[in-house]
Amino acid sequence: MIPTSYYLALSAVLFAIGVTGVLTRRNAIIVFMSVELMLNSANLTFVAFARQFMDLSGQVFVFFVMVVAAAEVAVGLALIVAIFRSKQSISLDELNQLKG
Amino acid sequence: MTQTDFIVLLPVLVLAGWALVLLLVDLFVPAGRKALTGWLALVGPAGAVLALTLWPNGGALTGFGGMLAADGFAVFLHLLFLGSAALIILLALTYLPRAGIERGEFYVLLLLTVSGMLLMAQAADLIVVFLALELLSIPLYILAGFARPRLSSEESAMKYFLLGAFASGFFVYGVALTYGAAGSTNLNAIVTAAQTGLVQGAAAAQALPVARSLLVAGAALILVGLGFKVAAVPFHMWTPDVYEGAPSVVTAFMSVGAKAGGFAALLRVFVTAFPGLAPQWASLLAILAALTMIVGNFAALRQGNIKRLLAYSSIAHAGYILMALPAAGSSFAAQSDYAVGSALFYLLAYALTTLGAWAVVMAVERQEGDGLALTDYAGLAARRPGLALAMALFMFSLTGLPPTAGFIAKFSLFRAAIDAGYLWLAIVGVLTSLVSAYYYLRVVVLMFMRPGAAQALARPTLDLAVGVTALATLLIGLLPGPLLDLAQRSVLTLTR
Amino acid sequence: MDSILQTNLLSLILFLPTAGAVLLLFFPRDQVGAIRWTAFLISLVPLGLSIYLWTQFDPAQPGYQFVESAPWFSVIGSNYSLGVDGISLPMVLLTTLLTPLAVLFSFSVSDKVKAYMILFLLLETGSLGVFLALDLLIFFVFYEVGLIPMYFLINIWGSANRQYASLKFILYTMTASLGLLLSTQIIGLTLGNFSIPNAAEFWPKLTGSFFGLTAEGLRVAAFWAFVVAFALKVPVWPLHTWLPDAHTEAPTAGSVILAGVLLKLGAYGFLRLVLPLYPVESAQFAPWLAFFALMAIVAGAYASFGQTDFKRLVAYSSINHMGFVVLGVAAAAATRATANAADGIIALNGAVLQMFTHGLSSAGMFLLVGVIYDRTHTRNLEEFGGLFPLAPVFGGILLFTSMGSLGLPGLAGFVSEFMVVRGAWPVFTVFTALAMLGLLMTGAYILKGIYKSIYGPLNQKWVGHHLEISTREVIAIAPLLVLMLVIGVWPAWLVGVINETITRFMAG
Repeated sequence: MIPTSYYLALSAVLFAIGVTGVLTRRNAIIVFMSVELMLNSANLTFVAFARQFMDLSGQVFVFFVMVVAAAEVAVGLALIVAIFRSKQSISLDELNQLKG
Repeated sequence: MTQTDFIVLLPVLVLAGWALVLLLVDLFVPAGRKALTGWLALVGPAGAVLALTLWPNGGALTGFGGMLAADGFAVFLHLLFLGSAALIILLALTYLPRAGIERGEFYVLLLLTVSGMLLMAQAADLIVVFLALELLSIPLYILAGFARPRLSSEESAMKYFLLGAFASGFFVYGVALTYGAAGSTNLNAIVTAAQTGLVQGAAAAQALPVARSLLVAGAALILVGLGFKVAAVPFHMWTPDVYEGAPSVVTAFMSVGAKAGGFAALLRVFVTAFPGLAPQWASLLAILAALTMIVGNFAALRQGNIKRLLAYSSIAHAGYILMALPAAGSSFAAQSDYAVGSALFYLLAYALTTLGAWAVVMAVERQEGDGLALTDYAGLAARRPGLALAMALFMFSLTGLPPTAGFIAKFSLFRAAIDAGYLWLAIVGVLTSLVSAYYYLRVVVLMFMRPGAAQALARPTLDLAVGVTALATLLIGLLPGPLLDLAQRSVLTLTR
Repeated sequence: MDSILQTNLLSLILFLPTAGAVLLLFFPRDQVGAIRWTAFLISLVPLGLSIYLWTQFDPAQPGYQFVESAPWFSVIGSNYSLGVDGISLPMVLLTTLLTPLAVLFSFSVSDKVKAYMILFLLLETGSLGVFLALDLLIFFVFYEVGLIPMYFLINIWGSANRQYASLKFILYTMTASLGLLLSTQIIGLTLGNFSIPNAAEFWPKLTGSFFGLTAEGLRVAAFWAFVVAFALKVPVWPLHTWLPDAHTEAPTAGSVILAGVLLKLGAYGFLRLVLPLYPVESAQFAPWLAFFALMAIVAGAYASFGQTDFKRLVAYSSINHMGFVVLGVAAAAATRATANAADGIIALNGAVLQMFTHGLSSAGMFLLVGVIYDRTHTRNLEEFGGLFPLAPVFGGILLFTSMGSLGLPGLAGFVSEFMVVRGAWPVFTVFTALAMLGLLMTGAYILKGIYKSIYGPLNQKWVGHHLEISTREVIAIAPLLVLMLVIGVWPAWLVGVINETITRFMAG
């Protein structure tokens, strides 16, 4: 059996990629995808631990995260569409109405 | 679902259920008469308060296998959230038509986000905390963009959404690591696991060092996630932009409800689940609190827009409330309880004062984000003395001058910090309060001393909201006894 | 009836002005006359009550009298408790006396009368609360509450540079009181409650270690926090720089209350809190206090002499006079519970008396400067000269008040300053001797003020102007003149009340 630590290392790497993506990319969709990557790395961690503990609740949690992520996608994409309609662009750099 | 489960969840059920009913009802309310939906929406909070009366007086219940709690802490916060929601609905009744965004969904979304907050106050399991966090946040993302197609509102929503989702990512990953360390996401089980070093459900005892470092990492990530929600430095960068762009009525609710929700989770999670790690997180949180107070107050000095000023002010106040957390990590139960009680009382004082201040902002605001510069307040006292007086009272309360609620709240919090040995933190708090006096008083000076043509809307619901909050701010400042006692009795009863 | 009045007398005195302010809220804004007279009549009631209080007060009885107590902030052990003794009673009388006079004098204010009168009444409650409080937290709350009305009074009705002056006033005072707040917290935390009598008994005896400091170290830190807060309010050199600005810019009646009452809050803080709560520290640092007092006396006098603005001259004279109060306090601190306590008793009696008499004379001086400014719209001494023939009544009153302020024997200022000097001489001989130099300069600047205004060559510019003081203004100032004379000739009625309390206190 593959040791749990392998899964953990993989999910840590995925999480780091996600964080880097959010911080460095400027396209709203890609930033959004990076966030999803973060959530899924957490899911992988849950599943790995659940497998190690032989405990169902960790796997149930994954379902919760997936459902919530789906809800977030719905809202997020709607927002992106709305912004695209107004600006014809989804670059975060062009979101500069509000001085930051 | 047993009867106890039902009773424990009833306030949330009532509110969320009423939101869904309202969604249907709204279909039959003709456009232009959406105020009807608003008035109907008030039934939700009222019903939830009624549902609260079913909870045992003074005792604590748990429901759904220990996932939800119904204790004094939850009651206090429920009343805070529901009261704020009612005030916000009153304000929205005048604000929405004026801003040309009168749509019935507003009230539905508001009730939904409030039900997320209620759930947050009751959550005794990290899964529930996460669900509550999202139930709280997602409607707020939409509300932030409610003034669509105004670009600044859309931009605000986008920023809030991306950073909120980013924060959720941290939070979930933190929960996952905590789960890995403790074998459960239940707050009580985490405590047990941390104390015994044993992971439930595992065949053999987990090696303690590994679990502990995972637990520390998990707690740190959860802190980052919640830090975003309460706008603590260094996770505060989104606040001014989002607050400025969102419709004022939404901003008002964000600065009160979302913050109180975040603090509910922080207090519940850190005091209940991670007391064993207190030596690690207490000093870290103390430093965060100090940074938040310093950055928030100093940045507010430079603002010329009232919404941005209040945004930085809300960051600063997050810093003050954060002071309670290291104190709550104290190993002495009395000190810890006192700190939690003080944080609750501070949240209440802050909520009342801030809502009042935002109500005045909405009265002065004109079409399309006009009338938001500080200079638009010049001469307000001459035209609307009552309104200006109320605003002055709110500013004094935010500064922490007696005899307002803000003074008592700050006094209590500083006491908690000093009592737990964080004298330096209290000193930072006191000094930054002095800095804050400068920018809060500037608003007062503008209203009373400068000539100007400030105009303000006069509507019964608006005046009612301002009057109620101003009166409460003053009354709590003069006679804090009963409410303070209530806050102090509303401690976390989960682990004891 | 009698018993209700007896048990709630202090609360009545304290909150009647607030009740009056609330009542005024309901007056229509343009009913200026009604507002003025209502405010004046309301402010007479606390005066009547405090005279009644004076007659009922028994100086021989130790401890506080007319004590009231009710739980206020029970979680942390703070109570709403009030009481008076021989130190606070004269201050209560002074406050309730000056407020109606200031209100009466302010009848000439015509801008936003309603707000003005409301603020004045609130200010009275704030000051009275400090004098009456027997709880540290209540003391602090009232200490801060007084700031807000004063801030508005300066900021709205002040003269040209009022924005700067009011902001400086509030920021200085707030900064200084932050240390007071923290120290109050620490006392409350270590003792479990905020009662002042309780703190006086146990706080000096506290031993052990708190917040990483020894009890001794904690006391020294808290001592200095208290001293800074009160010294700024007195004000003691070098913390006095806010005062000339605030005084100069404030409206006349505001200056009257500021000099007559608010400065006394700081001095009262020394008497009520610093001396009882920190006997060891105040004895140890008494020479420092005496030094700062000396600097205030000398620097205040010299600065006063250098002014050409009449109001600024009077403002600096306050620094000079209040220096004597602090000198008396320092002498008492050094001798308390020692063989030389008798000297300290005289000095402290003088200090309290000086607080009262300075309240009278500075209030009078500011009223008179206000009168002449009202007529001429200038305060520049160089523009006056020889006004006596043009305004003989005004000139006479100014002369009388100046002499009282200067310390002419037979008037109030002489008695108190003499007592301070007499008591402080054996304790701080050098400092007191140097302070006499300051006294010399007091004579110089007062004479300069009189000479430049009513004597000397007549400035032809004012011929034909109506400069004479009005009857209303005379009525406002007359009680002050009478009291100055009465105290100067027969101080026993006042000293008798003060002395009993102070003698008991100085015994240790």
